[in-house]
Amino acid sequence: MKKFVMIHDENLCIGCEACSVACKNENQIPSGVFRVQVHAKMKGVFPNLQTDFTRASCVMCEDSPCVSVCPTGASFKLANGITLIDENLCVSCKYCILACPYNARFLNPITKAIDKCTFCYPNRVSDGLTPACVSVCPTDALIFGDINDNNSEVNKVLASKSVEYPKAHLGTKPKLGFIKNTKGGRYE
Amino acid sequence: MQRREFLKGSAFLGSLACINPVLSANAFTKGDKKSVFSVCEMCSTRCPIEISVKDNKGVFINGNPKFSTNKTSVCARGGAGINQLYDKNRLIKPLIRVGKRGENKWREASWDEALNLVATKLNEIKEKHGASSVIFTSKAGESHTHMSNFACAYGSPNIFSHYSSCPITYNMVLEHTYGGGLSRDFANAKYIVNFGHNLFEGIVISDAKKLAKFAAASDTKLLVLEPRFSVVAAKADEWLPIKPGTDVAFLMALIHIWLRDEKYDKEFVNEYCIGLDELKASVKDTSPKWQESITGISADTIERIADEIYKAAPKVVIDWGHKTTTTYAEYQRTRAIAIANALMGNYEKKGGIHTSKNTNTLNKIIGEDIFPTLDNPSNVFKVPNTPRIDGAGEVGNKNYFVSRKHGVLMDIAPAILSKKPYPIKAWVNTRFNHLVNVANVNESLKAINELDFIVSIDIYLNDFSNLADVVLPESSYLERDESIATIGNGYYMRNKAVEVIGDTKSGFDIFRKLASMMKIDELYTYTTIDEYRMQQAKGNVDLLANLKKDGIVTYKVPSLYLREPKTIKEFAKTYPQIKDKIDSNGELSSLINFKTPSKKIELFIEKVENLFPTHGCLNTTDYDVFKNHEFCLTSGKTPIHTNAHTQNIPILNELMSESPVWINETKAKELGFKDGDLVYLENEFGKIQVKLMLTQGIRPDTLFIYHGFGRNTPALKNIHEIGANDSIVLGSRSGYVCSTMVTNIGVDIKRA
Repeated sequence: MKKFVMIHDENLCIGCEACSVACKNENQIPSGVFRVQVHAKMKGVFPNLQTDFTRASCVMCEDSPCVSVCPTGASFKLANGITLIDENLCVSCKYCILACPYNARFLNPITKAIDKCTFCYPNRVSDGLTPACVSVCPTDALIFGDINDNNSEVNKVLASKSVEYPKAHLGTKPKLGFIKNTKGGRYE
Repeated sequence: MQRREFLKGSAFLGSLACINPVLSANAFTKGDKKSVFSVCEMCSTRCPIEISVKDNKGVFINGNPKFSTNKTSVCARGGAGINQLYDKNRLIKPLIRVGKRGENKWREASWDEALNLVATKLNEIKEKHGASSVIFTSKAGESHTHMSNFACAYGSPNIFSHYSSCPITYNMVLEHTYGGGLSRDFANAKYIVNFGHNLFEGIVISDAKKLAKFAAASDTKLLVLEPRFSVVAAKADEWLPIKPGTDVAFLMALIHIWLRDEKYDKEFVNEYCIGLDELKASVKDTSPKWQESITGISADTIERIADEIYKAAPKVVIDWGHKTTTTYAEYQRTRAIAIANALMGNYEKKGGIHTSKNTNTLNKIIGEDIFPTLDNPSNVFKVPNTPRIDGAGEVGNKNYFVSRKHGVLMDIAPAILSKKPYPIKAWVNTRFNHLVNVANVNESLKAINELDFIVSIDIYLNDFSNLADVVLPESSYLERDESIATIGNGYYMRNKAVEVIGDTKSGFDIFRKLASMMKIDELYTYTTIDEYRMQQAKGNVDLLANLKKDGIVTYKVPSLYLREPKTIKEFAKTYPQIKDKIDSNGELSSLINFKTPSKKIELFIEKVENLFPTHGCLNTTDYDVFKNHEFCLTSGKTPIHTNAHTQNIPILNELMSESPVWINETKAKELGFKDGDLVYLENEFGKIQVKLMLTQGIRPDTLFIYHGFGRNTPALKNIHEIGANDSIVLGSRSGYVCSTMVTNIGVDIKRA
């Protein structure tokens, strides 16, 4: 059984939003809403500064609050770890938006259903392609693959680098990990 | 102007395509879905791309996986090519002005009528005032080629590209110093010194990818000198917030230290360089202490850095950047970078700088025609040998070293206004937004109003087009075929992905048609782009077929550095023809060829010294960009937009819909400003109203703006009168020797 994992290397990420544009075009996301964005945050006092680039999208929790609270079963999980939404079952009650600790869900103004990142499973990954964001990333900051495949790129990264998970203390066990930014903050 | 609902039109075309899917040579892969391999045009870089097309509608763009350097990568702008194609504000019919100039009153016209009007007017003007009275401006790339061919056929020498507003300096400096262009080996370097070459915002994917990996590696050092904490600064191992305009002082002190301590590659300099004595004299007094008060970087720091770079050499790149338009002393700044590289002996070394090994060069190195080469059907067109308005290429003129095919944009408006050296009557522009991208907008506006006739070719009704008499809508790059171009050791080609939306034509067809209508086409050996391509390929149909099918053809060749014995040995295994050229020390010195007058790297340039006294070697004349103003306004690129080209595209506009001015938070509070306050930035050239963005990420004496906003064109509905056009406060005086536009400029802030 495949188990999909995505890793965002914050050291390689340059915040260019190529991922965001690719996602919107691939998944026909209307204006005003996003499945993925990269947030750039500068901190410190001149000249001791640091800019972090963090990915804002669904983190594919193994223990998904959005699935537990969904009253209609519209939010559901595949055995490969990907959480999806069945538009036909969604009644837009927004319980899942409230339950999601990652602020990753939104109301799609066209479909009127709740929407979020799908790791492009229905349209690309199930065909053997990589998610649109991973495919276009100019600096290869996104790594995607099957954790159950010993030779996969994600396993190589997990073996060689320290990968953290957003809000790990909540115990939701995300499948979107990140490599923390180490640059910035030490100047003359 | 009527709003044209061509989305409806494209849906209609889409349904036709289902019935009769005859589109191009590309095979359909899955029902009515196909991939077309082509070349991006969302900026000037030209990345190879793959376009997914469904029902004749472009749906997704990623990099061409067959191009191993980029693979499927594409930036936000590249991905948004689809959204530009279907932008409702695009031009899709020729327009003829009916109101006063700039009043934005138009009527739609047929191509026959519009082109006839252009042909008649241009013929009339030539007869009355001579061909030189028409000027021609263009963006980079193929638009420039076809426009230049037409201008030459017409008989005007006044041809301009975007060169002087962007890369002119590094091109000229490398030509003067090394005899030609060079590449930077970002992938294998150990130490990179970056003077604000922000590859993470002004993205060139192949270089950005290498630099990102370099920056993330633990055994390399990226040093960034820049007044702003940009993304490239944020990824640096060390960031020095240098005072704007003072790079030249830092570099001259660096060179001073190396020469003082004799820490440079003496063997290389003795063998391959001339002018060491003049260089020594020019940096005699530029000590670490001297630069301290100019740059704001301590003497200790620069001593440490000089040592670090020397120890890492030759795996060192001192990066000359891309947009080389900082100060009037830009030529000296970039020259100092070129010289610093030479002293580190990194030429033709792995991890240093090297000549590009394209198919032509490889054939020469190997001594056999192994790889196919191209012909250039445009070669027959020569710029007329008559005086230009900017004097480019003329002895005694400040623009002597500037190519007569590129010219100096900032000299256009003064020439029109002064009628010197002769009156200008008309302006033909293709895809270049002179009123946003060129300094001194107020002067340009006055000049444009003096003209009898203006033609603008564009995909939007841009600020410049808005003042034209005839606007010709060009097809977007996804709707047109183009010629073959060189990439790395191979070729690539722009292939049409979808049928034309509305009634647009390619730049190629527009200029070719005009030339035939005006009966000035005797030099043209082609009428269609297919004929042009075939002449380029010298009848090599296999090459053409592969370029149509895959968009790119590259040849697997081992990498080769002419002073790196290991790579030479490897190369000789595949190409034993080079064996007898290898020296006893394993290098290929007989192939090292500097095309300068001295056949050496020129640390001192006699031909420059003769024409521009004191500029033959390094100096610090006029590096000051503040000129008695409190702040220096700097500008740069964002990864979301390309210069003044993409701001209206809905998906990109949503990500970045305006451009406030960065100001240091502490300084702003001292002055009583809050985040979002409206202010005027003002100087002797003009005044712009901007919104302030308070941030810690900039020096207290520096302001920064992402260039490209502040449009007057009502047709650009998403950006009309939003943000500020920074070119309004830039002066039209250019840099010494290189004639570059100067984009770092002194301004004062006044409350609006």
